[in-house]
Amino acid sequence: MKAVVLAAGEGTRLRPLTRTRPKPMIPIGNQPLLEHVLEAAREAGIDEFVFVVGYKRERIQSYFGDGDDWDVDIEYAVQKTQLGTGHALLQAESQVEGEFIALNGDRIVEPSAISAVMNERQSTGESIIAVTRHAHPENYGVVDLKGRTVRSIEEKPPAYTVQTDYINAGVYGLHDSIFEDLRSAEAEGELGITTALRERRDGLRAVPFDGLWLDVSHLWDVLAVNGRMLDRLDPSDSSTAAVHERATVVEQTSLGSDVRIRPGATVLPGTSLGDNVEIGSNTVVANAVVLPDARIGDGAVVRDCIVGENASIGPNATVEGGETNVVVDSDVYEQVRLGGVVGDNGSLGGGVTLSPGTVLGNQTTVESGCHVSGRIEHDAVVRRG
Amino acid sequence: MCGIIGYVGREDALPILRDGLSNLEYRGYDSAGVALGGGTLDVYKKEGKLSALTEILPERSTATMGIGHTRWSTHGEPTDVNAHPHTNESGDVAVVHNGIIENYATLRDELEARGHEFTSDTDTEVVPHLVEEELEPERDLVDVVSSVVDRLEGNYALGVVVAGRDGIVATRRGNPLVLGFADHGTFLASDVPAFVEHTRRVSYPEEGDVIHITEDGATVYVDGEEVSRAVQEVDWDAEAAEKGGYEHYMLKEIHEQPTALRQAISGRVDEMKGEVELEIDLPKEYLNSLEEVQFIACGTSYHAGLYAAKLFEEHADVRTSVEVASEYEFDGGRDPWRTLVVAVTQSGETADTLSALKRAKRAGARTLAVTNTLGSTVTRLVDDTVFIRAGPEIGVAATKTFCSQVATLTLVAVHVGRQRGTMSTADAQELLSDVRGLPGAVQQVLDNEEQVRLAAEEYADGDAFFFIGRGLGAPVALEGALKLKEISYDHAEGFPAGELKHGPLALVTSETPVLAILTEGARASETLNNVKEVESRGAPVLGAASETVDAEKFVDEVFRVSEVGELEPLVANVYFQLFSYHVANLKGRAIDKPRNLAKSVTVE
Repeated sequence: MKAVVLAAGEGTRLRPLTRTRPKPMIPIGNQPLLEHVLEAAREAGIDEFVFVVGYKRERIQSYFGDGDDWDVDIEYAVQKTQLGTGHALLQAESQVEGEFIALNGDRIVEPSAISAVMNERQSTGESIIAVTRHAHPENYGVVDLKGRTVRSIEEKPPAYTVQTDYINAGVYGLHDSIFEDLRSAEAEGELGITTALRERRDGLRAVPFDGLWLDVSHLWDVLAVNGRMLDRLDPSDSSTAAVHERATVVEQTSLGSDVRIRPGATVLPGTSLGDNVEIGSNTVVANAVVLPDARIGDGAVVRDCIVGENASIGPNATVEGGETNVVVDSDVYEQVRLGGVVGDNGSLGGGVTLSPGTVLGNQTTVESGCHVSGRIEHDAVVRRG
Repeated sequence: MCGIIGYVGREDALPILRDGLSNLEYRGYDSAGVALGGGTLDVYKKEGKLSALTEILPERSTATMGIGHTRWSTHGEPTDVNAHPHTNESGDVAVVHNGIIENYATLRDELEARGHEFTSDTDTEVVPHLVEEELEPERDLVDVVSSVVDRLEGNYALGVVVAGRDGIVATRRGNPLVLGFADHGTFLASDVPAFVEHTRRVSYPEEGDVIHITEDGATVYVDGEEVSRAVQEVDWDAEAAEKGGYEHYMLKEIHEQPTALRQAISGRVDEMKGEVELEIDLPKEYLNSLEEVQFIACGTSYHAGLYAAKLFEEHADVRTSVEVASEYEFDGGRDPWRTLVVAVTQSGETADTLSALKRAKRAGARTLAVTNTLGSTVTRLVDDTVFIRAGPEIGVAATKTFCSQVATLTLVAVHVGRQRGTMSTADAQELLSDVRGLPGAVQQVLDNEEQVRLAAEEYADGDAFFFIGRGLGAPVALEGALKLKEISYDHAEGFPAGELKHGPLALVTSETPVLAILTEGARASETLNNVKEVESRGAPVLGAASETVDAEKFVDEVFRVSEVGELEPLVANVYFQLFSYHVANLKGRAIDKPRNLAKSVTVE
């Protein structure tokens, strides 16, 4: 069976990371979310993929190419404007025939969930949707079930109306007849897959599963999910990483190729260091996601922090880490663990300190000795006042 | 400049040859043809792209043996009759050929005097007639081809089939040929992508080998004696040659540059010690005795050589010269023992570069190749090779290989400088740290693609385009102009910025956009004066500038380059690649296969 993977979305809540890459390319354990999806599907026996791409698609195409490195075939379909999952799926119409699987490209899901959907599709011939329990169903598509039959799917309903904790896990077993339904349901504005599925006459069956299902909605989820995945993944440090004999790198970390770790540095659990990252002497890096080509200067302390691609953190800079309240689009999120975010190509001078929860945009420069907090836009320069 | 393929096996040859030719189309594409073998030969050939040939091919054929060719004209116009395979009058002998037979005119006169009739204007056609003359019922085809090639002068890779004879006989001198061994049969081709879908087990024949290819394998002969040649596994994926969602290979390859650069430097750089680890054996005493490093190359590789030469002079404190390979002579009273000749060639098959290299070797100089292609001819000619590890490049316009060539040559410069004691650890650390910064700096350019695309829209209609830069920006100006003219067919020229006032300034008008390199390593403040000169004549100016250069006042469109010291001009070049691509794309050009050009130019 072919899998259509929806990977066209931007993920605005993950800015500044998603200013330069689509959400499926957010790295977890040094692999993009989309790669985790691809590997789960491959383990479930799928070796042909159609990636529906759109926003910043070059990042996806350059990383995955035609799929050779994974021993699968990848074709691409382009969704020019992001008008919902149903619209995205429609873009792949000419590339699939008969039965197929559709997957969200930005949710980590267990292979067993995918193979369960494939089996159920093949044995029943009905449209299938995987569902899983979630503590906050109101943030997702809430699925009301009668036995295994889906009665309704409601996107992000008000919390007080929710009677069930089953949510749409974003794995579908479908037939190409869905495209006709999608076209006739093509309403004004956004078109979700679930809109079309609701209309199907031949029934919609749910396959519940309990396994791993991880979503990355907010910046702090990147750190939490990264930590969880590092606990699960086998240590896979690149052979070209160079760790100085007087540096300490614990397990539950992931080192990309050509990472250099200088004398006296300590790399603690929950940390992923991307390709070509340099960690200076006597630094402490803990629970951090450091993207490729970034450099962390001598003596810096970087905790609970996301460091963007090609960013540089000056000597003795401090990201102290810890929990704090963060405001995103006027919603307050209480006690989330986020030491700070430095955007792509950002630069912190020597001795800079970041208060917990600080988010710096891409290409933002902070001059030596400044203390920064809050949210600072991209291309800004922070000087000592 | 041409691609050949042959197959003998148990599967239908037609689809195998057709797919193989399509994988070789990058080598040339003005005509193509196949000959299907067996008791009789069926020859199909057609002017134009491969799709034109596909239209005249039969739906299917039971032949399990055949040869094919995709051509880029040297002798004779691209027409149906000049397309390969070429045959004798009866059509019993068919030949595909890549290269040039220099004495073909003499041979042709002789053959015509003996009554042979020629139908094409090509040099190749002499071969089937010569084969016919030598052919006797009892005589082995290997023996026949061996005597024929004794009479040929020039460069060639040849594949010969004869009706009723088993297998294909192939031979090479100076042009690439590779054999492939699949479960269902045996291949010959100009390059691995032709058959990589079937096998990765290959062997590279030596110069002058005559090979009999059959269903079960290949037997190699040298002067009639059987010899064995090593079989190796290639790990390059021809499938990686597919476009992966991009509209053009060129754009795909531009976007692959951060990865290609990381591969180029991976495991080679120790910034802490300020040292470089390369797989070459250039003794310290030899490097200390050097008087000159000569770079020989063509096209884009030549520009990489110009860039590298400046770095060598500065850091390795050695005199350099950079020569266009087709103009190269080893002369001027140079001491061959104290001259290192560095050949820069992406494919490792560039005929001009190979022949220049042979001249250097004849003179007794030590040679080093900087190439992208494992097992290529250049690697067998030189004393040492450094690979740039950029992965396959299919677009005719070189992009990622330029970037990787310069990055790799920078590492070589540091190595030579350190060995000669002319570069301090601190200077080496700084330059190496800039090399480390390249992938990130290039990614930042790629993230700004939209800005470049909009600029291309605005300025695509210029009458001509001029690229200017100083210092390390001068070779980038040349490269920027080459890229634009190659793929957009616009008139584009690059100059050292100081040369503007000595002539080219006369060409500058309000309709000729000027692209300037205003970065570190390119003497930006001096170039800004030249920008003012063109700006006062109304020319629009686009500039790739360092963060620290205050360019906005005179430059209409500023592209920002992040800080990587002397490698900033190389990063600026990525903006120019994107600019050229988008200008050409707006004009609907055949970006991956520009007219009249081929990827690796294997004729002189």
